[in-house]
Amino acid sequence: MRAIPAKGWAQMDGDTWLSPGSLNAALRSVGGICAAVDAVVAGQAKTAFVAGRPPGHHAETETAMGFCLFGTVAIAAKRALDHHGLSRIAVLDFDVHHGNGTQDLLWDEARVRFVSSHQMPLYPGSGAPAEKGAHGQITNLPLRAGSGGADMRRAWGPVLDDLRLWRPDLVLVSAGFDAHHDDPLAGLTWETDDYRWITAAVCDLAEATCAGRVVSALEGGYDLDALATSVAAHVGVLEERGR
Amino acid sequence: MTDKSIADMSFEEAMAALEAVVSQLEKGEVPLEQSIALYERGAALKAHCAGKLKDAEEKVELIRAQEGRAVSVTPVEGM
Repeated sequence: MRAIPAKGWAQMDGDTWLSPGSLNAALRSVGGICAAVDAVVAGQAKTAFVAGRPPGHHAETETAMGFCLFGTVAIAAKRALDHHGLSRIAVLDFDVHHGNGTQDLLWDEARVRFVSSHQMPLYPGSGAPAEKGAHGQITNLPLRAGSGGADMRRAWGPVLDDLRLWRPDLVLVSAGFDAHHDDPLAGLTWETDDYRWITAAVCDLAEATCAGRVVSALEGGYDLDALATSVAAHVGVLEERGR
Repeated sequence: MTDKSIADMSFEEAMAALEAVVSQLEKGEVPLEQSIALYERGAALKAHCAGKLKDAEEKVELIRAQEGRAVSVTPVEGM
C-alpha cells in the first residue's frame, strides 16, 4: 500500500502500474468477490460472477505482479473458510497464465484444493506438475502452445471427477479468457464453446457436491471481442444453472 | 537480445539465442505482456535451427551420393 503514488504513476513491474486510485480499485475488487461469497453462502444466489479489476491470481504473499495487486480469489477462499466456517473449497483457475499468486497464498492451506491449467512455458514461468503444495492439494495442468479445447477437456475432466470425491463446500473460479485463439498474449486455441463446456463442468461438480454454489471472478482476457463473447458464454451458463 | 535478424544467424548464434529465450521464459523474468512475443521469437529460432540442420543433412547426403559410399551421420546433441 506504501507503493501507491499520491499523484502520477508508480511501476511495480513490467506490467503492473499504480495510480492514486489503484488501492481503492483493488480493495473493491477484493470486496466484490467477498460480497459474492457472502451472498452465495447465505443462499441469496446460487452462482455469481464478479467482473472486477484489477485481477488477482498473480499477486503473491509479498509481491504484486502481472496486473494484480491482491490475491482476490485466495482471499475469497479464506473468507469462506474463516468467516463462514466452510471446510473445503475448490479453487479452479483456467486463465491461460499460471495462478502463481493463488498457489503462493494457498501453498500451506490444506482446506483448499487449487487447480490451474495454463500454457507452459509462458509468463510467469511457474506451474509445473511437480508444484503440489505443502499437502499435495495443488494440481497444475500445463498445456502445450497451440493446443485447443480437446486437450483442455482431457486435462480437466479427470480432475473435476476426482474433486467430486473430495466434496467441496463451495467452488471458486479464476476465470481468465486469454486461452481463446484470438487472444494476443498467449498461444492456445480455445473457442467460445470451450468456455461454455468448462463452466458447465464446474457447475456439474458444484451441483453434485455443494448445492451448485459457484463464485467466479474475472482474471485475464486481452482480445476484447473474444473476451466479450467468452464472458457472455460463461455468465450465460452460470445464470442458467443458478436458477 | 541481438539486433541481428534470425534469417542471418548461424546455427550456433540461433541456438544460443534460443537457449536465452527458454531461460528467460522459464525464470518468469519477462512481463506478461511480452512473454508471447518472446515465445514466438523462440519458435522462429527453433525453425531456423531446424532449417540449418536440414541443409547440413542434405549436404551430407549429397557428398554420400557423389562418393558412392556410406557416410556415418551423428545427430547433433540436444536436438
